[in-house]
Amino acid sequence: MRLTRRHFMALSGAAGMATAFSGLSPAFGASSGTSVALLPSQAPTNWKAVLDLANAKLMAEHGFTFDAQFINWSNYGQQSLLKFTAGAQFDTALQALWLNMAQLQQSGALADLTGQIDKWPNLKKQIAPKLIEANSWGGKLWGIPQVNSAGRIQHFGIRQDLAEKYGFAEINDFQTLEKFFYAIKEKESGVTPFALASQTGWQTAVATPTGMFNEHSWENPYTMQYSLAGSGLRFYFDKDAATTGSSRPIPWWDDAGTVEALRKIRQYYNDGIINADALNVDQATIESQFGAGRFAGLWSMTDGLQSNRLAGLQRAVPTAALGQVLPFGGALGSVKPVQTFQADNMIVVNANGGDVDRAMALQDWFSVQENHDLVGLGIEGTDWKAVGDRGFEQLSTYSFPSYAILWRAGLERLTSSMTESEKKVFGWAQNYDNFTSDTFASFIADVTPVKEAAAQMNNVMTQYANPLFYGVGDVDAGLDKLKKAADAAGLDVIMTELTKQGDAYLKART
Amino acid sequence: MTVTKPRAGRTGARRHGLSSRDSLVLLLLALPGIAWFLVFAYGPMVGLVVAFKAFNIRDGIFGSPWNGLANFRYFLMSGDAATVVFNTVFLNALFLGASLLAGLVLALMLNEIRGGPYRRFMQSVIFFPYFVSPIVISIMLQVILSGVGGRGGLVNNLLSVVDLPQVSWYTEPGAWPWILTIVKVWQLGGYTSVIFLAAITSISEEVYEAAEIDGASRWRMALSITVPLLLPTFAVLVVLGVGRMFFGDFATIYAIVQDNGVLFPTTDVIDTYVFRSLRMIGDFGTTAAIGLFQSVVGFVFVAAAVLVQRRFQKESSIL
Repeated sequence: MRLTRRHFMALSGAAGMATAFSGLSPAFGASSGTSVALLPSQAPTNWKAVLDLANAKLMAEHGFTFDAQFINWSNYGQQSLLKFTAGAQFDTALQALWLNMAQLQQSGALADLTGQIDKWPNLKKQIAPKLIEANSWGGKLWGIPQVNSAGRIQHFGIRQDLAEKYGFAEINDFQTLEKFFYAIKEKESGVTPFALASQTGWQTAVATPTGMFNEHSWENPYTMQYSLAGSGLRFYFDKDAATTGSSRPIPWWDDAGTVEALRKIRQYYNDGIINADALNVDQATIESQFGAGRFAGLWSMTDGLQSNRLAGLQRAVPTAALGQVLPFGGALGSVKPVQTFQADNMIVVNANGGDVDRAMALQDWFSVQENHDLVGLGIEGTDWKAVGDRGFEQLSTYSFPSYAILWRAGLERLTSSMTESEKKVFGWAQNYDNFTSDTFASFIADVTPVKEAAAQMNNVMTQYANPLFYGVGDVDAGLDKLKKAADAAGLDVIMTELTKQGDAYLKART
Repeated sequence: MTVTKPRAGRTGARRHGLSSRDSLVLLLLALPGIAWFLVFAYGPMVGLVVAFKAFNIRDGIFGSPWNGLANFRYFLMSGDAATVVFNTVFLNALFLGASLLAGLVLALMLNEIRGGPYRRFMQSVIFFPYFVSPIVISIMLQVILSGVGGRGGLVNNLLSVVDLPQVSWYTEPGAWPWILTIVKVWQLGGYTSVIFLAAITSISEEVYEAAEIDGASRWRMALSITVPLLLPTFAVLVVLGVGRMFFGDFATIYAIVQDNGVLFPTTDVIDTYVFRSLRMIGDFGTTAAIGLFQSVVGFVFVAAAVLVQRRFQKESSIL
C-alpha cells in the first residue's frame, strides 16, 4: 500500500494520542504500570521465574507489576545518583546515609513519606513506631527503613573450633579475646588471628557504641558516634546533653579510650595479630581468605547472616566451627548498649516521576510472609524449603538483595545453617528492650553549610586517620599530623556548625 | 627548491581539483566521525555550565542557580592542591617518558626478529598486558609485594633469600612513583611498540639496502635510520600524552592505591583526590569545575608542546 501524506498525518496523530494517554495512565489509578526499583548486586539465578510468579500475584491483588534494575555494588552509589540526576523513570531505590541519601533529600529528590506507613496495614504491622521515629529527619520520613533486627552491633566472628582447641570456649571480655589472638599467633602457623579490611577501619577504635579494640568502650557501650553525611569526620555529642541542653560535640580522637585503642591496634600490627595489608584489602578479599582458613577472626554484624560463611569455610577446613563474640565486658544481656535505631538501608521514593502510592503498595505487599518469602528466598520447593516455623533450608543458589527492599524483622526466616552462637546473638539483637536509645537518635547533620570543609575533612580522615585505625605508623606522630591537617581543613568551622545543629535538635526534642 | 615547488603545486591542484561529487563522497565518509564528535565531545560541553552553578538534583543543569567561581575554590584553595598537582604532572611525565622509551626499544627489538610466526607471537605476548584490568593488576601487585596478610610477597621472599630486610611496600610512599611506572611500562610498552612498529613498516626498504651496501651493521642502521625516522611518530605521541598530563591515570592508580592514605604524598593525583572528596558529598558542580580546569590546563599544555615542536623540529610538527 502506498502511504500518502494524509496517511502519515493520521499515523502521527494516533501516535501522539497514544503517547499522551500513556503519559496520563498513572492518573487513572495509582495501582497500574510497573514499579521499578534500583537495587544493588545482580539478578538472582531463576529471577525470571520468581518475578513472573510474583507479578501474576501482584497484578491480581494490586493491578501493577514489579521490576528491578540491578546495579553492581561497585557502581551503585554513583549510578543510582546519576539516575536521580538524569530524571530516570523509577519508583524506588536503595539509599542510605552512607550512600547519598542526605544529598538527595536536601536537593528535594526524595518524596516525603511522612504518615504513609499508617495507610498500609501489613507494612505498619512490621515497622515498629520506634523505628519510624528514629529514622525521621526533623519529624519527616524520607525512606522506609529496611532492618531485620532492632540493634546492630559490630562484633567478632571467630573460629570457634580454634577457640575450643586452645581453651577459650567462652569469651566474654577483652582480655580473654586478646589471649585467644596471641595463642593463635603463637600456635597456628599460617593463620593470622584477626582480619581487617579497608573502608571500615574507623570501627576498630571509634565507639559505635563500641570500638572493636577500644577496651574502654567494651565496659561503657553508651557512646554513639555521628558523622557528616555518613562518612568523613566522626564525632560525639556530650553524654549529658539531655540534661544540660548543650550538645558540645567533640571529634572522635577526644573521646575517652580512643587514643589507648589506637596504641593497642599499633601493638597488634607490630605483633602480627592483625593483617598488615588492611589499608589495601577489601572486605570481599578478606571474606575469601577467611573462607580459605587464613584468619581466625573477622568483623561481623548482628544481622543473622554471619553463619553463611560456614559452608565455604568447611570446604577448606572440614572441622571448622564459627562463634560470635560481642564487644561487651560481661555475658550477653548484662548491658544495654546505646543505639540510634537508624537503619543502615532505606528504600526511598523518587520525587521526580516515582509513584508514591504504588511504591507504598509494593512495600505493603512485601510485608506479607508469603510474598516476602517468594521474592526474598525464591520458589518454595525449588529454591528453599521451610524448616520448622521460622527456619528455612536453601536448595539453590538464589540470592536476592532483601536488605535493600524487603527486610522485615518480624518476617525473616533463620537459615538452617545458623550456628547456635549466632542464633543467641541474633535473637538478642531483635528485641528493642535490650538497647538504650541515644539522646541524638534521629540527628542527621546537614552538611550543606560546611560542604567544602566537610569534603576536605574526608580527605584528611583517609590520609591521616586511616593508617592509625589499622596500626600503621607511630600513634603520637600520626595523631599530631591528623590534628594539624584537621585544623587546616576547617575543623573549627565544622564544630561550630555541629554545635548549632546539635543544640537546635535538643531544643526541638524538648 | 625547484623540485619541491612543482610537487606542492601538483598537490594543491589535485586538492582544488576535487569534483563536487568527490567532495560529497568525502563528506559522507567523514559524517560518522563528525557525528561521533558532536554527540560525545561537543554536545556534552553544554554540561560545563554546571561548573558555574550551585547544582541541585531537583532543578537540574539549567534550573540550578549560578554561583560564579565558587566551585573552583574547593580544589584551588585546599592545602593539598600543590602536592596533588605536582604528583599528577610528575607521575604522568614518568609514565609517558618510560612507556614511550620502552615502546621504542621493544619495537626496535621486534623489528630485528626475522621469523614471522615467532615475531607475531612475541608481539601478542607483549601487547597482552594492555588488556589486563587495573583491578587484576592491583591483585597481582598485592601478591608480588605483600602476599596474604601483608607480611610476605614474592619480592620480599626474594629479598629474604639474599639476606636483605623485608620491606612493607604498602607503607613506603617513596617507592611508589617507580612501582607505578614499572606497572605502566608493563601495561603500555607493548601497545606503544605496535604504534612504532607500524611506523617502521612505512620506512622504505631502499634506505636500509643503501646502508647495507655501505657496510652498516644492524645496530648502526637502527640508530641512524630507524630511530631518526621514528621521531615524528614519537613527537605526535608526546603531544598526545602531554595533552593528558593533567589527567591522572585514575583507573590504575585508584585500583592499586585505593584509600591507602600512607601512599598519598607520592601517589595522590587530581582525579583520585577529587573522587575521594566528592564520593562523600556527590557535588557535581565541583566535579565539573575540576574537570574544566584540567581540560583548560591540558589544552595549554598541548598548545605549548606543539609550539615547542614547531620551533625546534618544524618538519615533524603535527600542525
